Amino acid sequence: MPQFLDRFNPQTLRILALLAVFAGVLLFFSAVVPNYLNGRLFNRISSSVAIMALIATAQTLVIITRNIDLSIGSVVGFTAFATGSLVSGNPGLGPVALVGYAVLLGAGFGAINGILVAYARVPAIIVTLGTLALFRSALVEFSDAKSITTANLPDWLISFPNAVLWEFGQMQFRAGFVAALAVVVLVHIALSRFRPARKLYAVGSNPEAARMAGINCERTVFAAFVLAGALAGLAGFMFLARFGTITVVAGLGFELKSVAAAVVGGVNIFGGSGTAIGAMIGAALVDLIDTSLVRWQLVSEFWREAVLGALILLSVTADAAVMRWLAAMRQAREHKKAVAGMRAEQEKAGR
Amino acid sequence: MQEPILELAGISMAFGRTQALRGMSLRLLPGEVHAVVGENGAGKSTMIKIMTGVHQPTEGRMLLNGHAKHIPDPQAAREAGIAAIYQEPMVFPDLSVAENILISVGDEGVWLSPARQRQRAGGLISRIGVALDPDQMASGLTLAEQQTVEIARALCQDIRILIMDEPTASLSAHEAERLRGIAKALASEGVAVVYISHRLEEIFDVADRVTVIRDGSHISTKPIAEVTSESMIAEMVGREVGNYLAKCPSTAADEVILDVRDLTLKGVFENISFDLRKGEILCMSGLVGARRTDVALAIFGAVPATGGAIRYKGEDVAIASPRQAIDAGIAYVSEDRRKFGLAMPMPIRSNISLATLAEFRTPWGLLRRGREAEAAERFRKKLSVRTPNVELAAGMLSGGNQQKVMLAKWLNMNPDLLIFDEPTRGIDVRAKAEVHGLIRKFAAAGGAVLVISSDLPEVLALGDRILVMREGAQMGILSSDEASQEKIMSLATGRSELQEAC
Repeated sequence: MPQFLDRFNPQTLRILALLAVFAGVLLFFSAVVPNYLNGRLFNRISSSVAIMALIATAQTLVIITRNIDLSIGSVVGFTAFATGSLVSGNPGLGPVALVGYAVLLGAGFGAINGILVAYARVPAIIVTLGTLALFRSALVEFSDAKSITTANLPDWLISFPNAVLWEFGQMQFRAGFVAALAVVVLVHIALSRFRPARKLYAVGSNPEAARMAGINCERTVFAAFVLAGALAGLAGFMFLARFGTITVVAGLGFELKSVAAAVVGGVNIFGGSGTAIGAMIGAALVDLIDTSLVRWQLVSEFWREAVLGALILLSVTADAAVMRWLAAMRQAREHKKAVAGMRAEQEKAGR
Repeated sequence: MQEPILELAGISMAFGRTQALRGMSLRLLPGEVHAVVGENGAGKSTMIKIMTGVHQPTEGRMLLNGHAKHIPDPQAAREAGIAAIYQEPMVFPDLSVAENILISVGDEGVWLSPARQRQRAGGLISRIGVALDPDQMASGLTLAEQQTVEIARALCQDIRILIMDEPTASLSAHEAERLRGIAKALASEGVAVVYISHRLEEIFDVADRVTVIRDGSHISTKPIAEVTSESMIAEMVGREVGNYLAKCPSTAADEVILDVRDLTLKGVFENISFDLRKGEILCMSGLVGARRTDVALAIFGAVPATGGAIRYKGEDVAIASPRQAIDAGIAYVSEDRRKFGLAMPMPIRSNISLATLAEFRTPWGLLRRGREAEAAERFRKKLSVRTPNVELAAGMLSGGNQQKVMLAKWLNMNPDLLIFDEPTRGIDVRAKAEVHGLIRKFAAAGGAVLVISSDLPEVLALGDRILVMREGAQMGILSSDEASQEKIMSLATGRSELQEAC
């Protein structure tokens, strides 16, 4: 059995396990909550995942390189507000210009993080803890204590995320979700097939070996932060379109949610492995549990946070335990092989 | 004469105040296996790192095909056709074998095709002549398999120089033989192979020419037919030995403190047997990979042995943890000051009291700083630690003084048995002499000392007896009268064993 598991890519194993957990959660709640499984559940979660999947993917890019981006929520908030104020001043701007603006702005914030982490060699957790506060304060300064409201925004922007592309019964595939899904799939394919993306994994997996293999570690880490910033910018645009009303607290707490989604989705917090699809399923799972607990009267509102925390701990602990178990099995086999080899040599020498 | 493909000319390299290479020169010919031998610390690793662009020489230059070539980073080295495989293979545990092999390939466009990768990696693997599944994750590979991956990675480009740094150090005899076969096959294809090894017998098997280096300098380069293992060893160790390394008379008493019988740790070392008397200094010598530290860690209980017996002060003991060892009066001073030795940002005072904190505690569980400072001050004088005061962070001290602080930390528990791993690695001559003096003083006061050292003059100067290990086996115990550098080296490299067999 373990030998058979060895042949599998651990990432594939993780995604399969995740889907199993997802199904299990659905089954559990449909048993305890009346009228649980319906199209509305799908619509609610898919709308929320449209944003969470993007920031989880952004976080994944950074975590793969053995770093972390805690400033992600502030970047989402800032870009949402800045894009909103841009379009309210220039109502004629089209979607391409707005998305481009949000993405570039996010990439700019990512570049600040990237320079400090990759070139100034300050640990990512410190840098982004600092920029988490800095970017948020910049937003407060920039917004001048005003808010963006739906009234300031063009109609196409507000109606776009909820535009229904396909419908199966009550289940609606809305444009926001489909767009986010497309981006995640694109990033997923790039991560597995795009040659330069392999460098992200190499740097996170074994930085010294990466350097020896001629990979520019600094540039790779920098690129990861810039790309994560760009995705966070895109998430900011989605946030603006979905909620319409943006205050200075927009995106608050997203840093923890994005890390939770990525980690639950099988992204190794020590770098080197993880997939975008996994992170998205992680985001969906976190959201599913959060939404479902609201409808389950047994758990009070105050305990929902605790359940989320427990879920993170559980998934990481279980993952570590299973990986250790696999490694131990492998070591035992190797030891056996080595002993057999030694015996054979001794016999040869004895003859 | 054939034109060299790569030439090092007058390369010098300094790390801070340590001179790792002094005017090193080397000429590599295409199609040869060129062995490089030298003691630990002779400068082999530094030389490789310069050839692969990891370090920049402070002086001298490299010539590739007769033209001066600057290699600023590993990428440039790869482009010039220079690749290296290391004793500790550089693989990416989270990537598959195929991905590992083709990690730095740049000639296939930006999109990866798993099928083509698998095929190409499979081709390279079979060219080396081993069975390895390209889809397997690298985290599941044995050391030998990881090295195969590294060789395949080197082969996926137009490689002209392959450097192998002690590739067989952790391989079984069979695996090592296959690896040597690969080295010879590559040389016959015109690649210049640099082969670094401590195992002299394998050098006679694989090499066309041998270069001996010592203390960062080139000593000789000869065709393999013109050297014998004795001549190689003589050149490796033949340095002038200063007066400070004169042997002092032994202070050994009759009472046996430690009696080790057939100590074995499965797969690491086997059948180590020795005794150690009160007042005696026993040195363990051997090359890197001889597993001396593992024996010490087994006695100290950090990684307990799986077989054999230890008698300590006349009683059979089973030491299962360092705590137990410390309680029994055994101290172990680690070879790695940074990793296991000192808390570098903490003051000297706190470092010295760290192993014996119970002594400095009030009944309320608080620390008595005054008493700590007193003890630290006492050791500062006794060991002449050069520092303005004991509140200085340990990391601010020079290597020699750090070593003294480490020693103080363990001497404070008044051990009966002191295990000192590489007591003078990386410290200057004066501090070396002082540390030696402290070890002798401790022995003269009735303590038993086990010193692990790769520094042969040090071993000869300190050891009342010298135990030589090689790859986990005990090769013999020499008394200080019969020991010489040549004798120790021939035991450590396994030559004398072969001669007996012949």
